This record gives sequence, C-alpha cells and structure tokens, in this order.
Amino acid sequence: MSDNTLNTQQQSGAVQTTGHAWDSDLQEYNNPLPRWWLWCFYGTAIFSVLYWFFYPSWPVGNSWIKGFGTVSYTITDKATGKAQERESRWNTRALLLEDLGDAANDPQRKAMLAKVQTASYDQIIKDPKMMAFVRSVGKGLFGDNCAACHGSGGGGVAGLYPNLTDDDWLWGGGMDKIQETLVNGRKGFMPAFGAVLKPEQLDDVAEYVLTLSDEAKSSEASERGKAIFQGQVGGCYYCHGADAKGVQSQGAANLTDKIWAIANVPAQKTLQDKKAVLTAFITNGVNNTRIMPAWKDRLSPTDIKLLAVYVHQLGGAK
Amino acid sequence: MAQSSALPAEQYNYDIVRKFTIMAMVWAVVGMSVGVYIACELAWPFLNFDIAALTFGRLRPVHTTLVIFGFGGSALFATSYYIVQRTSQARLAFPWVAEFTFWGWSGGVALGAITYMLGLSQGREYAEFEWPLDIAITLVWVSYFAVYVETLRRRSQPHIYVANWFFLAFIVAVALLHIFNNLAVPVSLTKSYSLFAGVQDAMTQWWYGHNAVGFFLTAAFLGMMYYFVPKQAGRPVYSYRLSIIHFWALIFLYMWAGGHHLHWTSLPDWVSTLAATFSILLLMPSWGGMINGIMTLSGAWDKLRSDPIMLFLITSLSFYGMSTFEGPLMSLKSVNALSHYTDWTIGHVHSGALGWVALVSFGSFYHLIPRLYDTKMYSQALIYVHFWLATIGIVLYITALWVAGIGQGLMLRSFDDYGNLAYTFIETVEFMHTPYIWRALGGAFFVSGVLVMVYNMVMTVRAARYEQAAVEAKLTAKLAKA
Repeated sequence: MSDNTLNTQQQSGAVQTTGHAWDSDLQEYNNPLPRWWLWCFYGTAIFSVLYWFFYPSWPVGNSWIKGFGTVSYTITDKATGKAQERESRWNTRALLLEDLGDAANDPQRKAMLAKVQTASYDQIIKDPKMMAFVRSVGKGLFGDNCAACHGSGGGGVAGLYPNLTDDDWLWGGGMDKIQETLVNGRKGFMPAFGAVLKPEQLDDVAEYVLTLSDEAKSSEASERGKAIFQGQVGGCYYCHGADAKGVQSQGAANLTDKIWAIANVPAQKTLQDKKAVLTAFITNGVNNTRIMPAWKDRLSPTDIKLLAVYVHQLGGAK
Repeated sequence: MAQSSALPAEQYNYDIVRKFTIMAMVWAVVGMSVGVYIACELAWPFLNFDIAALTFGRLRPVHTTLVIFGFGGSALFATSYYIVQRTSQARLAFPWVAEFTFWGWSGGVALGAITYMLGLSQGREYAEFEWPLDIAITLVWVSYFAVYVETLRRRSQPHIYVANWFFLAFIVAVALLHIFNNLAVPVSLTKSYSLFAGVQDAMTQWWYGHNAVGFFLTAAFLGMMYYFVPKQAGRPVYSYRLSIIHFWALIFLYMWAGGHHLHWTSLPDWVSTLAATFSILLLMPSWGGMINGIMTLSGAWDKLRSDPIMLFLITSLSFYGMSTFEGPLMSLKSVNALSHYTDWTIGHVHSGALGWVALVSFGSFYHLIPRLYDTKMYSQALIYVHFWLATIGIVLYITALWVAGIGQGLMLRSFDDYGNLAYTFIETVEFMHTPYIWRALGGAFFVSGVLVMVYNMVMTVRAARYEQAAVEAKLTAKLAKA
C-alpha cells in the first residue's frame, strides 16, 4: 500500500502514519494518546469512584451500595406531636424531608405564623411586621392558587374574572367578607331579561344604566329605562338598589362607579357599541357562568386568613 | 495504489447521495423555520392563533423530527453512502434497496410531521411516531444496514476506514434503540400504549433519548468528521490510536448515561448516580474526537484564513468540545438540581445541534456538492456569509438560553427572609420573555444562513448543468465534423 504520498509525510515529520491509505489520500498518523488527555481520563475515573462512595451506587443482589453521604432531618409524629431527629444514608426522600423541615422550622417563619394565627384582622393590618409576613406568604399563595384566573398582579380579566386591585367589590372587600368568599366560594346570578322585556325596553334600560356612570346623557330613552329599572316592570332596583350602588350581600354590582366587571363597556369606543354590549348582557343575564370555587378543602384556615389580608391590601385596603 | 480510471461519478453511485443531500437541505429549511416559529410562540403566545395544529405542543415534535431525522438523518445517509463507497472503493451495494431507503426515510419523516400536527403522537420525546410508522422506519433501517454492510464487504481495501466504524456503530445502535423504545401495544391504527410502565418506561425513553444524542447526533457525525476534515485539510488524521481508544470508550460508556435525564425523579438514586458518573467518564472519550479533528489541522492552521469550509469544520468541532464539556457538568446531581426543567437544557442541546451537527454537515456539504456535480461552488463569499450568520445565530441562541435557564433556575430556588419562595412561577416566565426574543432572533440568523446556502447550492447545480450541456454540445459538434 505504501506509495509516494506516504513517503513525503514520513520525511517531513518524525511521526509515521499507519501505512494505510483510503480514497487515494486519506491516511492516519500514529501519534500516541496525548498525555493530558489520558491523565484527564484517569481523573474522571477517580472522580467517578469517589462519587460512587458518596452517593448510593452499584446494585448488589437485591439491594445497592448505600454510599457514605448522610442526611439528617426532623419528623413530627402525627399522633404524639413529638419531633424526632433522624439521620439516614443519602437519598432524595430524606433530602426532601430535610428541605421541608428547614422551611417549616425557619425560626422567623414559625414566630410570625404563631403571631398571625392569634391576631385579629385589625391587629394584622395595623402591624407593619405582620403585613410584611402576609405579603411574603400571600405572594406565593396567590401566585399558586389565584393568579390563574385573577392574573399574577390580581388585575383580573375584563368580562371574565374580577379585578382585585380596584376598590370595587362585588361581594364585599372587608377581610371577613373576603374570607367568606374564599372559604365557600361564590356563584354570581342575574336573571336573563330577554325573556321579560321587549327589545326596545332592553335598549332603554341599557341607555339608563349608561347615564348612571356618565357614559350617556339623560334622554327620553334613558327616562323610559329609568322607569323600568326603578319600577315593577324591570325591578332592577331589587338587587342593584334604588341608588344603583349595588348590594354586596347579593353580589350585585355597583353601576355608578365606572368599574365594569362583566360587560366590557370601557373597551367600546362608540356609545352605540357600549349600549350593544350592555344590552346583550341584560338580555342573557348570568347563570352558572361566574363561579368562584370554594377553597376550604384545599387551603388551611391559616392560609385562607393570610390570603384574605393579602387580597384586601391588593385593593387598597379599604 | 489501485485507482480506477473511470470518473468517480461513474465508478460510484452519486445519484442517491445527491438525492439525500437535496432532501437534507429541504428539511433544514422547513424544520428550522418551524423552530423559529415556535421560538416566537414562546415569546408571543398569541402566535398559536388558537389553532390546535399550530400550538407549541404539536409543532415542537414537528421541529425536532424534521431537524434531527429529516435534516440530520438525510445528511447522514448522504455522507455515509458517499464515504462508504469512496473509502471502500466499491460501488454501493443493492442500488434498489438504497433507493428504497431514500423514499422510505423521506416519506416516514413527512408523514410523521403531518401526524403530529393532527395530534397523533406516542408522546415519547424524539420517538413520537405512532406504531405503523415505527414499523416502516424499522424496515428502512434494516435496508440501510444491509446496503451499508454489503458495500463494506465488497471493499477493495484490506482495512476499514475509521469513519465507517462510527457509521456502523450508529446504524446498529439506532436499530436497537428504536426497536426497544417503541415496543408498544396497538389499540388502533393511530394509537398504542407502551409496553413499559412508570419509571421503567421513563428510563427506557431516556435510554433511547440520550443514545439518540450519542449515536445519531454524535457518533454518526464523528464519522462524517473523520472523512471530511482530513480530506478538506489534505492531511492525515492526527492519531489512529486515539481514534481506536475514543471510539470504543464512547460506544461503551454512552449506553449507561441516559438516567441523567431523570435526576430528582422517582428514578432510584443509585441509577441516577451511575448515570452521572458515566456521563463524567464520557467527557474525555468525546473530546478524543475533537482532538483528532482539530489536531489534524496542526501545521496547516493558515487554512482557517483561506478556506471557509475548514472554518465550518473546525468551528463545529469547537462547539462539539464545548457542549460535550457542558453535558457531563449538567449531569452531576447538584448542577442538575439547578439546570433541570429550565431552558439551560434547551440551550445545551442547541449548542450541540446547531454548533456541532449542523455546522459539520454544512462544511461537509460544501466539500461534497462540487464533487457530486463535478464543478465548483458558485460563490466562496457566500460560504463566508453563511458561516458568520450561523455563528452569530448560535452565540445569540445559547447565551439567551443560558440567561433564561440559569436565571429561572436561580429564581425558583431563592427564598425570602421568612423561608418562603421569593418568586412565583409566573414571575420566572415574565423574566424569560426578553431572552426568548433573543433566542428567536438567534434562530432567525441561523435560518437565514441556511437560505444563503440553499441559494449557493442551487446556483452551483445550475452552473454545473449549463457546463455539462456546453461540453456535450461541443462533443456533438466535433462528432458532426468528423
């Protein structure tokens, strides 16, 4: 196989090729393994053996080599309530218990939790230290449980999920009311007036409702709507009140404050469009479409208490 | 040396190589464009337009399948068929079977992409094909094996060149991985359930997944490297001994490392330890290929200034070295606790996929195409343009995802004074928005480089056809005179 091309390579360098050639000029030098490469390779082997000694490694029979690494953690006996220190060989389950124990036993956290559990809502909201703790816990609780609907900052989604950062509350913004909402959930209801009122009457009511928040000027139509709203024909005042400021025990919205939870009035440009979304809403009402789930089986009473304060302060704490 | 006097184009079957080369570029354009699109979806989710077929979950396997199996697979078929013929000095065996591998493979990849968009998927990463396609792919693969081995058997060279060891290891290992990972019980034509359950299923899936990286995206492309680097450099491979040692070490060690994809899961701790150490042991065997490639150029470094193809090949080896260093690092339990489930992993994969796999393929194609068509590349300058677009794209991509991944990892494990988590999950998502834009931009750079290459390739082939027609015209004119 040797030919001229091989000889020139041999003459130019001290290293020889293997003497094979493919595809006319493909050859291989016979350089030794680079020293540094070989030593690094040995190094990784030594590292691996040490790693096997520290962590659980090779299987032997029905078990495995446990390794020398250890983890210590505290567990609390559920029956007696006694805490026990334990140490075990390194394993991910023990590591999780260690992490959970560290979090639960954080002295700052323990002290603040005890304080918050016994304090009243008024005491919590007046105490900056407890409020700092509420914000720390509430952020995670809100992010994990509430943000999916109400948004990460509590801003809600117009027409779908209420905004919690304004000071308008459908079911009440006091901490005890928010707690009630969290514990049992809420179910919004408004009859569908499409079956009761004629189209022109629906139109007039919408016109009137828009005057309440200065979206429209008083007109003949709005006066007709007012008569329906305040009279027996529509009877809207039963729930929304004669002043149309809403009734929180019913979850009935305040119609005078320019805050719209469901019918997305602010997003419409012309008066005509505003009226259209409102008319559609009055026609169909609300039935089984606006449900806030109950959290009593999913969050602990303390978590709900902390969340109630957190949500209350999102809305300006009024 | 026994050299046939026939033209290489007649001596060897170049037709099949041309077909796979062209298809590789088609898949590259489509697959990588889909990649850029889904990268944009992550930054601006409205881009899925609420159409199920366009959502990230469906397009992601389309992207990975078209790029890994469409582009990467076709590039490997093309180069392995070219290399095995030239280094064996034998024409490709069973031409019709080879033809079948082309239509089978291309059809399988295309059908796969369509079925994923329809929502038909096994849900196994990089093996989403439902069972009828799995069987079809097995047939193609066995045919590939037959063609390859028979061609090697017919070689007129006593020794088998190193590139062929890597290709053969790739073909055998992928057959093994594909069959065992896809063992499933069909319940209808479009639905099947895995034969394995629970953590065993996860382990099988990642034994496959990691070795798809090891044998498909590493060993096979090393085969490509072992032919095209010394060919393009015009110099012998640096060390035959190193090639033997790193080949066997790589082949032996890779099979054990898959468990590192399942650290901190229900995988038994001891399995996870072994997977981590075998990944660490893999570092030097992986680097063996890089050393052998880069050192082949020692004494001819000036080629990096004058030869853009060499630039592609050597840069690909540098990215290969970088990502095979990063991989073992990420496989350590403590590092993995930070990196797992973050975009650091995606960045790591792309430093290998874009930096190593794609660049070495592009470099090889620039060497290959003029030889397939017996001409010169249309434009050297455009090769440089492609090189820089690709390199800038890769650097943007992987740095963006280092920021996104390490940033998210650190946010998810930071606590405030009370031992509460400092960030909610959604805050980490908001944080990643900007890096996601940079990542999409990096991808766009990379794809535009590919488009430059396609243009260059089309113009080259056109010129070759024109030259050939001119030669033939002259010939007929001469014949007519005589």
